[in-house]
Amino acid sequence: MAYGFEAKNDSGKVIINDTIENLHFIGKATRGSNNSNYGDFPGYGGSNDTLDGRVLHTYTITCTGTPVAFIKPADYARWHSIIKQSVSSTTWTFEVMISGTSTSNPPEIYCFVNADDVPSTSDTHGMIVYKSNGSTKTFDSRRQPLAITGGGTAAAPPSDPTNSSGLPGNSSGHSWNYSSNDHDFRSSNRYTAHSDSSANTSTAMFACSSLAQGVYKRQQHGHKASCRFSCFGWCCGGYQDHYSTAAWWVMYRQAFRLRSGNFDSGWTGYAAGYSFSSVAEDGGWFGGGGGSWSSGSMPYAAKTINLQSNAYILADSSRYD
Amino acid sequence: MSHGLSVFKSDGSLGFSTADVTWQTVAQFTVAANATVSNTYSEAAGMTVIAQRQLVNVPPSAQEDYAPNVVVSNNSQTITVSPQSGLSSSQCIIHVLAQDA
Repeated sequence: MAYGFEAKNDSGKVIINDTIENLHFIGKATRGSNNSNYGDFPGYGGSNDTLDGRVLHTYTITCTGTPVAFIKPADYARWHSIIKQSVSSTTWTFEVMISGTSTSNPPEIYCFVNADDVPSTSDTHGMIVYKSNGSTKTFDSRRQPLAITGGGTAAAPPSDPTNSSGLPGNSSGHSWNYSSNDHDFRSSNRYTAHSDSSANTSTAMFACSSLAQGVYKRQQHGHKASCRFSCFGWCCGGYQDHYSTAAWWVMYRQAFRLRSGNFDSGWTGYAAGYSFSSVAEDGGWFGGGGGSWSSGSMPYAAKTINLQSNAYILADSSRYD
Repeated sequence: MSHGLSVFKSDGSLGFSTADVTWQTVAQFTVAANATVSNTYSEAAGMTVIAQRQLVNVPPSAQEDYAPNVVVSNNSQTITVSPQSGLSSSQCIIHVLAQDA
């Protein structure tokens, strides 16, 4: 460089210069409403009813620039992810998903923006670096600069989000109105681990976007044929068919967990449903009456999408408290 | 420290120093649904560049929400965001971060 400013760290890597902006801490987002649900299948009470559950917390922060948000878990055993980030004027809203149904121990969201968009401060101590235009800041020590502790590439979670292996799929040959789920839709054991020495369960926080999504469904078909009219022990009046379909589905979103020495990329159920339909053919003059009834619905086809790797960054939250 | 740079806060505590490691931010931009965008940042030449994707407006219980692909090329200077092959893509925030390689 012929002029300007450049600082290299102890590894000889540039960490401040006058061409690329550093990220600076602007505050923690404010937590608003929450919504807890799906600890089990709505409207169903049989076997394998239990799900992981999830809580959605909404956070907001007002700033110019686009914030990079870090999640600092309060309960490191739970899975976390930011599943939505939107802006209205200069107010940013984050929807943060956490596994489980307890609304206690919500995480904190630490927000960082580029140097030139940090809020003004009356602090007269520190160091500011400007670009060659003399007005655009690339570094301003009065707002705590981001220092990372680890990170890398987070692989996609396993393509099967469910603890029971394999696609649950469809099965037939069940008795009419059969409805007993045989698939474990929880995802607590389904994750890809990344060894990272800076991961801990005390002050570590992470920035990583949730991309992968999935819908898994189990469907069971039942049937019964009833004799419309019996003649001395054999069916002489034809058969009346009865059909039933029971279905369980869960919609998953990618979520992350910090463990000591590991960053995990996994899943948490976002929504779930149970549907049941039953149809009885009209039995005619001598048979029983026909009819159908059903409950619940599934929003879209079963599949897993966005199974892609994504960058993750770890930092120490205690530097910004 | 025997050499390097330390920047202190007004309360006298250490704020940042050459013992630290960081990612710098090259750019942030939002890509509209189904759009292809290619931006070039000459200042990122030769650096390690990552592009984080954050979906903006996910309606998870109503429709599938495909994230766009991101490709870093041209000696880390060019970021290309485009829909996955044969699929629509959702609106997405892109954070381009760089680290001295």
